[in-house]
Amino acid sequence: MIKKLFDWLKQPLGLIAAGIVFLALFSAAAYGLYTTQQAPEQPVPGFPHKTHVSFGIQCLYCHPGASKGPAAGLPSQAKCWGCHNQIVKTRDSALLAPLKDAVLSGQSLEWVPVAIVPDFVQFNHRAHVAAGRNCEECHGDVSQMGIYQNPQVFNMGWCLNCHIEAAGEDQAKLIKLADCGTCHY
Amino acid sequence: MTEQFSRRDFLKLAGLGAATTAILTGCGPASRYVKREPYQQMPEYNSVGQSTYYATTCRECAAGCGLVVRTYQGRAIKTEGNANHPLNLGKTCARGQATLQGLYNPDRVQAPSTGDWDSAIQIVADTLKNYKPGEVAFLMGMAPDHLFDLVTDLANATGMNAPVRFGALGMFEARATLSKAAENLFGQAGLPWFDLGGAQAVFSFGANFLETWISPLPYTRGFVGLRAKETKIRGTFVQFEARMSATGAKADHWVPVRPGTEGLVALAIGKLVSELRGGAMPRVFSSVNPVEAAEAAGVELEALHHLAEMFVTFNVLAIPGGAALGQSNGLEIAEAVLALNALSDNFGKPGGVYLSALAPNQTEYNRPASAEEMASFVEKMKSGAIKALFVHGVNPVFELPASLGFKEALAGVEQVISFATFTDETAAAAKFVFPDHHGLESWGYQRVATGVSLPVLSGAQPVVSPFYDTRATADVLIAAAKLAGGAFATALPYADEVEFIQTRVSELMSEAAGSFSASDAATFMAYFQQYGGWYKNVEALIAPDGSSVLNGNVNAAEPEYAGEGEFFFVPFVSPTLAEAGANKPWLQELPDPTTTVMWNTWIEMNPETAHELGIANDDVVKVISEVGEVQAYVYLYPAIRPDTIAMPFGQGHTAYGQYAENRGVNPADLIAVRFNEAGDLAFAGMKVKVEKVSSAVSGVGLSRMESRMGVYGEALGEEH
Repeated sequence: MIKKLFDWLKQPLGLIAAGIVFLALFSAAAYGLYTTQQAPEQPVPGFPHKTHVSFGIQCLYCHPGASKGPAAGLPSQAKCWGCHNQIVKTRDSALLAPLKDAVLSGQSLEWVPVAIVPDFVQFNHRAHVAAGRNCEECHGDVSQMGIYQNPQVFNMGWCLNCHIEAAGEDQAKLIKLADCGTCHY
Repeated sequence: MTEQFSRRDFLKLAGLGAATTAILTGCGPASRYVKREPYQQMPEYNSVGQSTYYATTCRECAAGCGLVVRTYQGRAIKTEGNANHPLNLGKTCARGQATLQGLYNPDRVQAPSTGDWDSAIQIVADTLKNYKPGEVAFLMGMAPDHLFDLVTDLANATGMNAPVRFGALGMFEARATLSKAAENLFGQAGLPWFDLGGAQAVFSFGANFLETWISPLPYTRGFVGLRAKETKIRGTFVQFEARMSATGAKADHWVPVRPGTEGLVALAIGKLVSELRGGAMPRVFSSVNPVEAAEAAGVELEALHHLAEMFVTFNVLAIPGGAALGQSNGLEIAEAVLALNALSDNFGKPGGVYLSALAPNQTEYNRPASAEEMASFVEKMKSGAIKALFVHGVNPVFELPASLGFKEALAGVEQVISFATFTDETAAAAKFVFPDHHGLESWGYQRVATGVSLPVLSGAQPVVSPFYDTRATADVLIAAAKLAGGAFATALPYADEVEFIQTRVSELMSEAAGSFSASDAATFMAYFQQYGGWYKNVEALIAPDGSSVLNGNVNAAEPEYAGEGEFFFVPFVSPTLAEAGANKPWLQELPDPTTTVMWNTWIEMNPETAHELGIANDDVVKVISEVGEVQAYVYLYPAIRPDTIAMPFGQGHTAYGQYAENRGVNPADLIAVRFNEAGDLAFAGMKVKVEKVSSAVSGVGLSRMESRMGVYGEALGEEH
């Protein structure tokens, strides 16, 4: 039966059918790849980092975990609403309705993190902040962003480039910073 | 591969399928995007992405081990032992690990049975106020904890009955017998503590100290010390018991004595040792005849000689355990076994017998109620002397022998209020259930009764916020006492449970040599929470006065057996489930250490006996005692005397949630109400009949490591 199928596929009609199937799969895959490169839908569309930074709010005010541990973390909703509740313009703004609903109902907003690395990478913000790196060195100029977007792909080559550069001529430091076990353990 | 479908074709199609699947799923957004939920209100002591650890006390049994619980974003994730806790030094048993399954158990009582706490507290207040103080009684678990102290205060101030502590573990350990024997021999009551680690050899008469006996973690540590070879010779361990326990399975010599003859055997060994050593025969051993003793116990005389020689060579520690003391002559057996230690001259010495250290805030040993005391409690319930009953931390309908009549007596009590976390058998029969928090959601402290040479007050604090609309029983009582007014309100002048605990704990600030100190109460309490308790760095084991033991008089004659039948009946506490573990699937799934049976009850029978009776593995038999009968599967167990059958205690719940209900049977239904002289139940001194009901059916029977049949309810338990 299978042999018959393969024989038929070698006929012109079969070749056309195979081509159609291939194209369908290829476009589905291409579409899939395309969607991964799009910004995901977030619970507060158009959240403006720009506005917050322009008021002089420090990154660590909302993401204090970056100086203490692995994850920078999201601000608790109480912290968001603590300010927005007191600003007449934002208290009833349509843009912030999702936040207001979440706070009043005790539900959590579901954010989709975009600055992430795979599970086999043991990334820790604290070490980077302690080494004197500024947030924008990895996360780009957030003062110009609305909803956050990665300025580059967080892949291993990009990590290593910086690690090697940071070591400079210091061989001992290079061994530490370029060791596999530094990030994969 | 067939002609139509070649190997090459198969690989082509498989490859194509795999590639399509990978493309369509791997590239899809669903697999790449994760969701993160921020806190509503982040606790200040939390850090994003990092675990928070809390020290508390395990509430699964009354031993009082320290735990450190890892929590992540407000959820308890893992329990481990608290390495700074002197009792368990960082270790836990299986029950301690499974305490999480109590916290997350779907069968928890989620709200007071009246619907709201205001009416619940009103009902408690009315109960306190409207009944005469003498008509109100509290029945509590074995743990000597803060709630026990609070209720004791209330009872002392108002004339209510003093709270009664009871637990099946204490009943099967025959704790009252042990302390009574110590009082008779040493003139001082206390819970004996046996230093296994320092001994050269241990003769244990039915003590299952590696499983559930008294305080299994420190005894297990002691056993490790006994067996250690690095610093001394490897210690020898001899176990005397009719049915091999998991502890007995570790013994160098296992001596299957007939139930009730342990005392005779101990005295006979004592006599043989004295003969070997020469000199005057101590009075305590003089009356026994080793030949008759060996015959009564069903062991070879030669074996006793061999053991006596071992005794002369090594410094032997003799331990009387629960199964040996649960006999009509249990008190004499306890005295005979303890007297054996006089030959090693080890009272109050390393490797010997001590009386347990008293905990901080404790002036004398306060043991849980014996079965006989429970019988008189039941009598009071029946006669109407007790009209209102509060139950907390114990499930007497399940834990006491059915023949004691607790269930019937409970039905006659006007007002029954249970504070149970789960709808167990007693809560199901109560008029109201006002649920307490789970142990991991609760504040508290607990005195460590034994197992450690220092006086320890173990501390408990919530590791998570309560999940449901439950309330701490201490808070309910304090609020109800305020409503009731008068002597009740003045007896409990506290804002809440935490204030009561702080008041009691801060009394320790003035004590010297504490594990920590602080100059103000708030700091002291913070340390108490951080370290999981407070202890005094002062060795406080009490050396008993054993000077008159050898000149005493112990008559460990043969016991009287209750009932008739061809078999001795030995119920034993399941090492994994014990009295309250059956509602936790991890413990149900944990194979019994000696038989590997899971999720069910079995009857252990010697294969030779079974062969004579035409009984095979997984046959269903009926066990008939003088007070009841139960049906269960037979497990052919070579390590049991041919004239004895045994059953584990732990299953056979009729309530207590989906994992526990209608699974196996409860051997307590068979136990006749007979007591020994110390008032403990003579549970191991019974004779029973066995009748075969049906032969094993393929696919139905006991689940074991090798076969999981019966796990999902197709077993016998489901049918009745």
